[in-house]
Formats: sequence, C-alpha cells, structure tokens
Amino acid sequence: MIELLGAWAPLLPVLFVALGGLGLMLVDALVKDKAELAMGTFVVLSLGAGLALGLWNEPVTAASTELFGGWVAADRLSLFLDVAICGGAALAALLGGGYLREHQLERGEFYVLVVFSAFGGMMLGRSSDVLTLFVALETLSLGVYGLVAFRRTSPRAAEGALKYFLLGSFASAILLYGSALLYGATGHTDFVGIAASIEAGDAETRLTILAMALMVVGLAFKVSAVPFHMWTPDAYEGAVTPATTFMAVVVKTAAFGVLLRVLFVVFGDDMLSAPSTGWPRVLGALAAITMLGGNLAAIVQRNVKRMLAYSSIAHAGYILVGIAAAASGPADAGWSETALSSVLYYLLAYTVSNVLAFGSLILAGSHGKEAVSYEDLAGLGRRHPAVALPFVLGILSLMGFPPTAGFFAKYYVLSAAMQMGTGMLWLVLVAVLSSAVGAYYYLRVLVFLFMKQPEPGAVVAVPMRSLYVVSALVLSGYFVLRMGLAPNAYLEFALEAARTFG
Amino acid sequence: MFEVYFPVFLMLAIAVAVPCLLFTLASTLGTKNPTPEKMLPYESGSASTGAQHLRLSVKFYLTAILFVVFDIEAVFLYPWAAQFRELGWAGLVEMVLFLLVLGVTLVYAWKKGALEWER
Repeated sequence: MIELLGAWAPLLPVLFVALGGLGLMLVDALVKDKAELAMGTFVVLSLGAGLALGLWNEPVTAASTELFGGWVAADRLSLFLDVAICGGAALAALLGGGYLREHQLERGEFYVLVVFSAFGGMMLGRSSDVLTLFVALETLSLGVYGLVAFRRTSPRAAEGALKYFLLGSFASAILLYGSALLYGATGHTDFVGIAASIEAGDAETRLTILAMALMVVGLAFKVSAVPFHMWTPDAYEGAVTPATTFMAVVVKTAAFGVLLRVLFVVFGDDMLSAPSTGWPRVLGALAAITMLGGNLAAIVQRNVKRMLAYSSIAHAGYILVGIAAAASGPADAGWSETALSSVLYYLLAYTVSNVLAFGSLILAGSHGKEAVSYEDLAGLGRRHPAVALPFVLGILSLMGFPPTAGFFAKYYVLSAAMQMGTGMLWLVLVAVLSSAVGAYYYLRVLVFLFMKQPEPGAVVAVPMRSLYVVSALVLSGYFVLRMGLAPNAYLEFALEAARTFG
Repeated sequence: MFEVYFPVFLMLAIAVAVPCLLFTLASTLGTKNPTPEKMLPYESGSASTGAQHLRLSVKFYLTAILFVVFDIEAVFLYPWAAQFRELGWAGLVEMVLFLLVLGVTLVYAWKKGALEWER
C-alpha cells in the first residue's frame, strides 16, 4: 500500500478519515434506524490515528518533505498531530454515542461533523501554505460551529454558536488579512518561500511584522488565549458536552500545531524570533495574561462546564509558555527541542485529561437531570463512587497532580522554560502562582463530590448508564495514568515530532 | 508607494463624493410633498399587503444552499473541460474524485429529504 502511494503515503491518515466521513454520511442517510454511527466514527478515527502511527518510521515522513509543490507538509509533526486529533475526536465521538442517546438528541449529523472537522484539523496540522492553512482552518471551524448549535431548541446553544461564528469569522478574516500582507511583502504563499524571502531581507520589515501580528491574533483566537477568549465560555457552555470536549481537545490541538508551524517555519527568522525583541516576548506576555485571566475567571464560576472552559483557557497559557521558551534560548542555539517536545507532550496530556473530566461530567448526569453546577455534584462520591473515581483522576490531571499525565505536562513545560535562564523566570513564577490559584477551583469539585451533601429537597443528578461513555473514560483514564507513570515513551514520541523543526 | 496607488484613492474619493453630492442636492433643492401613499414601503407599485417581517420557510434556504453546491461544481467543470487535453489523466482522476464526493452529498441530501418540497 505504502509502495503504491509512494510520496503520497503521508496523506494516508487524512485520506482515510475523509473517505470514512463520506462513508458515515451515506450510512446515516441510507440506514434508517439503529445505525451505530458512534462506533463507526470511533473505528474510522482510531484507524486514522493508527495509520499515522504506522507511518511514523517510513522514510518519506521521517525526512520532512512537502507534497503538491509545497502545499502540504509531510513530516512527523503532522503525524503527531494526526494521532492527537484523531484520538481526541474518537473519544469525543464515544462520549457523543452515550450522551446524545441519553438526552434524546441522537442524529447522525453529529458524527459526520466530528469526522469532517477532525479532517480539517488534520489538514491544518500539515498545512505548509497560507492558503492550505486558511481552507483547513475553515473546514475545521465550520463543522464546529454546527456542533455548538447542535441542540437546536436551546437558546443557549444558539447564543454560543452565533457568538462563536461571528467572532470566529472575524478571526479568520484577520488571519487572512495577515496572509495577504505577507504575500504582498514577500511574493510567496508557501511557508518555506516566505521564510526564505524574509531571511534574504527582500521583505518590507514593517509589513512583515504587521502580518505576523495579525496571523498570531487570528490563531490566538482559535486557541482561546486571553484577550481573544470571550467566545470560549459561552460556546463551551451552550454546546452539547461531547461537542465541548471536541472543541477543547481537537480544535485546540490543531490550532496549536499550526501556530507552531507558523511561528517556527514562517517567522523563524533571527530578527523576528529574537528572544528580547521578537515574538517570543509577545507570546510570553500573552501566556502570562492567559494563565492569570483563565485561572482567576474560573474561580468565580458556578457552572462546572464553564469552569472547565476557563480551565482550558488557562491551559492554553501554559502551552504558550512552552512555545515562548522554545525560542528564548541563546541566539546561536536554535530552537529548544526540549521546550518544543514539552509543548507537544502537553497537547497529548491535555487531550486525555480533558476527555476524562468532560466524560465524567457527562456520566454524572442523565436525561433531564444533567450535572451542571457544583451543587449537582454534591455527595456524588458517596452515592456513586464509580462515577466519581474518573472525575477525581481527570481533575487531578488538569490540576497537575502526580502521578498523572497533567503533572508531567506542566513539569516538562516549566522545566524547559527554567532552562532558558533568567529571562523566563518571571513567566515560570506566574505559571506556578496561577496553578496554585487553579488548585482552588479544581479542589472545589472534589470537595463537592466527597465532602458535601445535597440540600434537602434539591434535585440531584442521577448518573446515566452507557457503555460508550464508560469505554471512553476507561481509555482516557488509562492514558492519563500511563503518561503519568511511564512518561518517557510519550516524551520520546513528542521529541521525535519536535525534531521536525530541526 | 503613494504615486502608484493615487488612481485608486482618486477613484475612492469620487465614489464617496458623488452619492453625497447627489443626496445633498436632492434633499436641499427638491420639493417635498409627502402623502400617506408616498410614505408606504415600495412594493413594486402594488398595494402593501402586510408587515414585511415574514418568517420564510427554511426550505428556501436549503434549496439555495443546494443550488450553490451544484453551481460551484459547474464553475469547476468548465475550466477543466476547456483544459481537458492539457490536464490529461491526472485531471480526469481528480475531477472524477470531486464528482464522486459531490455525488455522495447528493445521495445524502436526497435521502434526507432535502429535495422534497411537500412533506
């Protein structure tokens, strides 16, 4: 198969997922009842992740080539992102299988949108031209707008979707404006051509800097960094919880992947990426306000889903610390591979931890009795310990408590930043302080689970029963513990992907 | 830099100035004699039949979207047909794949009942 496709082999995962999506669409249209689309989606996406892993050691991908004359990258970074995106989307589809049936929202569109959005994310991860980037970003986003609005009768869903759609279109336009300026400045649309033109000094510097600012703003919106995060809590709260999970893990992973590529390939020029005067400093500031803003706003939330939305903003801040650190080394040392791999490791750990936390929230509620506020969770640990257990694990991992995936993710990012010397010290301090703040609202979930009892006469959330949700929790829980107890294999995986930027 | 774009700015200035001028002239020089009929919303000359905030059926939207999909298909087909010989087998394969994807969407729209007006 790989010989037959030749140089196109690195596209195998993404082609497979696209075909799988078309197949699922036909199944949804032709099979009237009892179509196990959740299972089908899970199989398609996990096979996509499996194909990406299978291609890992093929010479075509290890060599970091490009296809179609520079439109699409074929390297290990894109395969790494494939694994994270497909894995996250597959787990979100499993959660959907349980949640949608329980809440009587089961419609095939959900799974088809998940697969096609994941396809857009995979293309985004391998885009090496501003046009591919834009089309892939829209493919990813359009599906997600639909997913947010999935609960059609809910005004909150409509509000979240409309906010996300309007602000998202605005961000896309800003990104496109940046790309257009970049093309005007350099005469190229492919990443390598733009970088070569900047390196050679052919580009008008002021235009390039403006273009860079616009593109970073556009992508900062997609990763929901403060101050471009306003849509996040509303969209996360209004969406059905499996769609929220999908947004938190897949959209963020894909956007961070392409942000890495844009910063380190397109704007990797010595002048633009100088630690004191270039984008690392800007990203450092962005990281600081994102961590502080996300964590502080999460404290005052009464709704657990909103709290998790702000927590996802805070996590974007920690990831940005790693990105800023990767370019903050001495001038002649190049990118820090340790910092880059810590960012990628963080994306994996963040994916599984979030699936675990959102999945447990889904499992804790049932039809008409969805778990929404902290009070809904009161005493759940006593009444249903089996439901509380994955919740505890997910929350501890998001908090960064050992021995979970989240602990090592934070540890690697912060130690990579520490290695960069005193210039990054303030950022590490902000990260540690805001994590301490974050512990408050994470622990609050545990307090409600185990130490509180529901008010007499209050409506209590009754856990649902679903093999789908349970299997998603078992899978993500396994990886949370595995990455926390034996992180080396995953770190090595991330390191090999980070060498793409060599 | 500026010299190159001077015609564009001139064009922009004229485009803004002309309508401003015309509206100012019309409002200052024209005579005003409003009657109830004149103040009604214009509906092609026929008498007004009610509020203009009608709820349109979502079916119109579906039809319009389907039209756009197949319209774009034609947009892609024409240049391909004109360059058929130059593009060769690779072009044929790409176009067949594209049509295949569109075919799947057609089957989907059909089976989901998007093509039925009365339901």
